[in-house]
Amino acid sequence: MTTDSPRFKPVLFPKQALLAKSFHWVNVVSLFIMLGSGLQIYNANPVFGGRQGIHLPPIFIGGWLAGGRDWHFGSMWIFSLNLLWYGVYILASRRWKHRFVGQPDLKALQVGKNPKRKAYSWHRIVYTAIVPVLLLAILSGIGMYKPAQFYWIVDLFGDWQALRIVHFMTVPIVVGFTIVHSLLALKVGGSRLLESMFW
Amino acid sequence: MPFMQSFNRRQFLQMAGLSSTLLLSGCGSDLFAGVVGQVTEPLNQRLDELLLNPQKPVPEMPISSIEPDKLIVNTFDFTPVIDPKLYRLTIDGEVNNPMQLGVKELYKLPLTSVVMRHVCVEGWAAIVQWGGVRLRDLIQLAQPKETVRYVYFQSADGYYESWDLRSCLHPQTLMAYQKNGEPLPIENGAPLRLAAPIKLGYKHSKWVTRIMLTSNLLPQRGYWEDRGYEWFAGL
Repeated sequence: MTTDSPRFKPVLFPKQALLAKSFHWVNVVSLFIMLGSGLQIYNANPVFGGRQGIHLPPIFIGGWLAGGRDWHFGSMWIFSLNLLWYGVYILASRRWKHRFVGQPDLKALQVGKNPKRKAYSWHRIVYTAIVPVLLLAILSGIGMYKPAQFYWIVDLFGDWQALRIVHFMTVPIVVGFTIVHSLLALKVGGSRLLESMFW
Repeated sequence: MPFMQSFNRRQFLQMAGLSSTLLLSGCGSDLFAGVVGQVTEPLNQRLDELLLNPQKPVPEMPISSIEPDKLIVNTFDFTPVIDPKLYRLTIDGEVNNPMQLGVKELYKLPLTSVVMRHVCVEGWAAIVQWGGVRLRDLIQLAQPKETVRYVYFQSADGYYESWDLRSCLHPQTLMAYQKNGEPLPIENGAPLRLAAPIKLGYKHSKWVTRIMLTSNLLPQRGYWEDRGYEWFAGL
């Protein structure tokens, strides 16, 4: 039996702020609904090729176009307001100063020798980079939702098709991010880091 | 019984509607879609109403930007062929001056042209020029009563729609008889169709034969709306 070994080492468990954890949870769930209902809407008229284009298997949220729209335009409030308050939170708590990618991370990647520190830099680069992607999804989404009121958003992206492509491309980017972000988090902090973000 | 007293007719109808939605829907996410819509759509409609300024035109696009190939013809049932000589547009409901207009009388009214983006609920869009009579001119001719808030549109193919009055008074809301500088083709709604840059495509009834002004929304709000689509559908 080794459990009552006298040479017990205290283990430091990573801890996350409750507000950071709640943001993460709401973000994961609302983003999942946005993606699922968004792909339901996509299937009504695929972005690439229109009606003759490639349809996705009908496994998405909402059941049909109107249902998908209900879910999409319902969860958009939760998703975007959650992101908004997170923005306020990282500004007010000054988390933005030390929780996102910065000069030290780039330096560690360029001249550093510590592979663990390098992985940590990549981790910070990846989760920092998803923030503008999420904001882009909201901006392009507003442009498609209210193109007459926010005509300047459509103009900003060039034309309607460009706007649709940008909005759609945030889906594979978010899916790819989820995989890379999870793997990097595992590499950096193991399952303890992962669990600390959720529970 | 206190239970029956607090349970009025409207609540009963809402419950009945809700439970029929639950019963009719097959799969799980579809089951909740109606509920999600009932919860969030009033909020989204308020946003739509706030965003709409019925006096402010949407910036127009140059004629050179028109995309004739992109406008897909969507019809819920069949394509009615109407003899323009026999065609009459009825404007009635809660108005002081109900009327019937023929094609010739419509053509005599001031012609307005709008180059706009036609956006379909399915996700595609096309830049189109529509030419026709401003709906607000027709409404003025009919002299609506003070209480009028809604406008119903009946089409020759059985399609029906209802709009809020404010959107109908928008300067770019047209009863169109021209498309891209040509007489309106039958499949696009000849002799007369709705066209406006401020609402989704399914609000734009084709082959309109009757415009009815009302103070209240009726139980039937529109062909697609009665099947679950948003009623305001503002852009």
